[in-house]
Amino acid sequence: MNERDGQAIIFRFVVTLLVILALNFILPHMMPGDPFSTMASDVQSEDVIVMTEAQREYYFQYYGLDRPLPEQFFSYLANLARGDLGQSIYYKMPVAGVILLHLPWTILIVLAATAISTVVGVVLGIISARNRNKGSDRLMMTGLIAFAEIPSFLLGIILLLIFCVHLRLFPLAGAVTPFAHYTGVLDQIGDIAHHAFLPVLTLSLAQLTGVYLLTRNTLITVSTKDYIRTARAKGLGDHIVWSRHALRNALLPVVTRTGFVIGMLMGGAVLVETVFNYPGIGLTLRNAVVARDYPLIQGILLVVAVSILLCNLLADRLYQKLDPRVVE
Amino acid sequence: MADLEVKDLKCHYNTDTSVVPAVDGISLSLEAGEIVGVIGESGSGKTTLGLSIMRLLDGLASVSGTIVYKGTDITHLPEPEIDRIRWKDIAIVFQNNLDILNPVMTVGKQVVEPLLKHEEIPVREAQARCADLFRTVGLDPVWMDAYPHQLSGGMRQRVLLAMALSCDPKLLILDEVTSALDAFTRKEIRDLLIDLQKKNGYSMILISHDLSFVSSLASRMIVLYAGRVVESGPTVDIINAPRHPYTRGLVHSTPDIFVYKDLWGIPGESASEDGHAGCPFSRRCTQPIEICRTSPPRLQSCGDGREVACHRGGIATLLRADAVHFRYPLPGRKTLHAVNGVDMDVCEGEVLAIVGQTASGKSTLAHILAGILRPESGEVRFMDGAVHSGNNGHRFGGIQIVFQDPFSSTSNRFTVLDAVREPFDINRIGTAAERLDMTREALKLVRLPPTDEFLGKYCGALSGGQRQRVALARAMIMKPRLLIADEITSALDVSTAANVLRLLKGLQNRRGFAMIYISHDLSLTLKIADRIAVMDAGRIIEIGNAHEVMLHPRDDRTKRLIGTRVGHCCHDHKPVGMAGRLQTRVSDCGDE
Amino acid sequence: MPPYLRNAADRFTATVSKFSLEGKIGLCGIALIVMMAVFAPLLSAYPPGKITGGSLEPPGADHPLGTDELGMDIWSQICYGARMSLFIGLAVACIAGLGGGALGILAGYLGGAADQVVMRTVDVLMALPSFPLLVVISAFMGPSVFNVILILVLFSWAKPARIARSQTLSIKNNVYITAARNYGATPFYLLRRHILPEVLPILFVLIISITSYAIMAETGLAFLGLGDPTSKSWGMMLYYATNFRSIYFTPYWQWWLIPPLVALIVLLLCLAFIGRDLEQVLDPRMRQNRGG
Repeated sequence: MNERDGQAIIFRFVVTLLVILALNFILPHMMPGDPFSTMASDVQSEDVIVMTEAQREYYFQYYGLDRPLPEQFFSYLANLARGDLGQSIYYKMPVAGVILLHLPWTILIVLAATAISTVVGVVLGIISARNRNKGSDRLMMTGLIAFAEIPSFLLGIILLLIFCVHLRLFPLAGAVTPFAHYTGVLDQIGDIAHHAFLPVLTLSLAQLTGVYLLTRNTLITVSTKDYIRTARAKGLGDHIVWSRHALRNALLPVVTRTGFVIGMLMGGAVLVETVFNYPGIGLTLRNAVVARDYPLIQGILLVVAVSILLCNLLADRLYQKLDPRVVE
Repeated sequence: MADLEVKDLKCHYNTDTSVVPAVDGISLSLEAGEIVGVIGESGSGKTTLGLSIMRLLDGLASVSGTIVYKGTDITHLPEPEIDRIRWKDIAIVFQNNLDILNPVMTVGKQVVEPLLKHEEIPVREAQARCADLFRTVGLDPVWMDAYPHQLSGGMRQRVLLAMALSCDPKLLILDEVTSALDAFTRKEIRDLLIDLQKKNGYSMILISHDLSFVSSLASRMIVLYAGRVVESGPTVDIINAPRHPYTRGLVHSTPDIFVYKDLWGIPGESASEDGHAGCPFSRRCTQPIEICRTSPPRLQSCGDGREVACHRGGIATLLRADAVHFRYPLPGRKTLHAVNGVDMDVCEGEVLAIVGQTASGKSTLAHILAGILRPESGEVRFMDGAVHSGNNGHRFGGIQIVFQDPFSSTSNRFTVLDAVREPFDINRIGTAAERLDMTREALKLVRLPPTDEFLGKYCGALSGGQRQRVALARAMIMKPRLLIADEITSALDVSTAANVLRLLKGLQNRRGFAMIYISHDLSLTLKIADRIAVMDAGRIIEIGNAHEVMLHPRDDRTKRLIGTRVGHCCHDHKPVGMAGRLQTRVSDCGDE
Repeated sequence: MPPYLRNAADRFTATVSKFSLEGKIGLCGIALIVMMAVFAPLLSAYPPGKITGGSLEPPGADHPLGTDELGMDIWSQICYGARMSLFIGLAVACIAGLGGGALGILAGYLGGAADQVVMRTVDVLMALPSFPLLVVISAFMGPSVFNVILILVLFSWAKPARIARSQTLSIKNNVYITAARNYGATPFYLLRRHILPEVLPILFVLIISITSYAIMAETGLAFLGLGDPTSKSWGMMLYYATNFRSIYFTPYWQWWLIPPLVALIVLLLCLAFIGRDLEQVLDPRMRQNRGG
């Protein structure tokens, strides 16, 4: 089975989605004991909300814990189809609503970080490949690779300590200044950018090296290919050889990588938002974890997982469109 | 003035650990409209040569020497200026592979690209030109919208050709254009090249390892070995009479040139970068001398527009006979003039066959050449001394002879060991242990078991084929420079004869000694001979390239000899059929 | 020394001698951290979980790195935390690397249905978004070292399996395997003489990178509050420190947050350096590609 075969991609997407749904469904059943009675018992943070009797009853009903498993699964799927992700304990509102409230912030920083890391990574990769084995290339290789080995949230803490705690250049928490009065749209955008700057920087740095290395190495591989020599032989000039022949081939894997990057960033955002107290879906997940708000945890997992899968799917489809060698 | 003049070109690839000289001082010149072939096996530097003319090696290799195109030294032209010459003046048809065309661009776009750049014509016109080019090379223009991976190898080769022709270049370099193609496509491309060259009149450099392809197109040829020119000259002369041992080996390795002969490759591996100072071919050469290991030979003219790079001036003469006469006394004061004024020579590493009827004097001649009989007049010189100074048979590197009758060539009372090591015993060479070892080696060479049991066998107990091989082993133990095989297969049955013959030729090919093969069997002779001398009544009536003698016999008696071959494929006297039959017979028998 | 041990030692020195400077630094760093973990009781004056001083004491003679909010010694937490991080990392890497590798070899060797099952599972596992799932599963299964290891293993065996399989497949297609079979080689022989020597070096490189991944993931989980509360790993220290209200407005972060942060970064960088050099030295394909 060809890895880039269109049907295979769809098939894998569907299977993976089903696995996630099944996991999401089964997880509450795997919990030691009765999830809803133990909830209140392992209090270790003041955030944990003790459930009221009414809420507990609601959960029994939502999860249908008293009914047989297949029936539970179907009612779970039916609920999902209606867009009903259940009721959050912590926020005391529908899970879907909570997610919709916080998702835009995550999308904002993830997309910004994707754009920045891709553009900067590609540009640095090109510079590095064209100056292969020269000083600038070696410097970038060593520096960026060392950077890549530091996990994003540790990097986030370092940036936070330097820029927020020590230099006091950026806010320690939030996506906007609370209770601010904006003088105009620009002011508002500025405030949002100010808050988003460090999370975006952290996420970008985390993904930058991957894009950079991929671009550099693919370009170097491509530049040794025979068709580059053919193009040079035709006397097309350095510029056309690079832009039309080398870059086009080298950027194909970068395209696929971009979808992958979005997925990685969605995962990384959970930790980075926690570091910066940025009110995206990641911080919400962390709060839900601390508060043992299981419906919210599940809802967020579903949304994050499905968006990651969709990004990968889109990237694969895009690759098929761009590379004529892939037979539809 | 020549269109292209390459002088002392050197290209060295620098790897992490070593410097590989891919091209090591090549010079060549090309007139307008001329077709020159560059021949060499893989790793001989021929592709590097093509790339360096296009200046495509920058950064990969260090290049020195000069390349002058139409009076302009293009060796150090800056990139934008060389770009103007590329494709417009000098275009290259690359060896076809999947990667040679950009996989994400349609082939039409890739052919149009140089047109837009160099001719500066509108896209629509360029596309029309491209469609014309496709038709010229025999491709339907609908393929312009195809991607490279959708085309077959032959079609891609045609696209590459169309692409190279797009800007009407003055000089076309073709790099192994046929090597990946099947025989039919190869012929089509060849015919196409001939037509196009006639029409457009550009000059061509054909780079290939395919001697028959190059020789069918090029008027001049350059033979490369390990980055050096070893021989150059007119194609016909080189094919018919190669001067360099390497060229001779190449010719022998090419089935299309001498269709009757069995195929024998050049023994040994082609020279690699384990640099030693001498001639790069010396390790595989049939005639190395001391200087070959210490200094590389220069390319020197040897007349008729030919050049060869060899310390020995090309293939050297090993043995020369001058006006040799020999008469047998007959009863009644009559004499039989068995050898009547024979002049001939034998070159290093070649197989010369002497054919003729019974009593034509060929065996007598053989005995004279070996120094067994003394000629009445005339002289035989081997290497530098006269044969009859008498030290050729009992020293290493001399002349050995194997006789016709296997049953009398070794004594029945001798064991195999005694028979084979006899020359050592006679000449007191080596200790007993050394003699035993060399005997075993010699037996292995002739594919006889080197076991104690076999060594202890009496020659009388052996079959004819085995005894002939014992005799051969006895000759081989003295490591001869020249082996004379006098009708050695005539007493053997067909299958044994085929085996002994193949064994002999194999030994000759590996060891590189020269051989005089004497036979009355023309068909068998053709399988192994490089040259044939036809003898009749004590004279050599015709001598020449085996192929030439066979196809275009000049003397009537030779024609008669060729006509004597009988067999059901030969009724129309077309030698090709004969060769085909023999091919099957000999090769079916295998080596053993 | 028995010959096979000397052999292994020789190979080890030969491999290390090909390391770059960073690789050697990494090796020294790891050696130091391992020593720290092994000799933790000797290196630290106090047990890590015991209140031995005042709350949030700055570094001083008593407590070289100060104390946390409960008055526990930070230096001993770092020493003992090394145990936790290394243990989880190595346990996950060995189980996932060797187990996944074995599955991959088996799948590649057997082919057919077994191969299909393993490979489809690997496909799906590799498509799953691992970190969010890790978070959610640990949230549901409850925080314990065992659970963390189990979950991490579940998510990291796919890569070694896939690589081991493709290696096995490409080895299996060689004619020398056919020839060996023809000479009567048993599957066990083929495994020992032909497959393992090719696959093990690659698995070893992967084990290093999985160690790195596992330590990173464990730290991330702990940082979110999903670590085992009974064992103080460096990630848990980060969690407690960053969750201390207004830590950024006090000087406490200087001795509470920085030590585990530095320790983690040093550990991960050392592992990465070693992994990269090993890859270049051990993996024959990488060796070939180095020139290109």
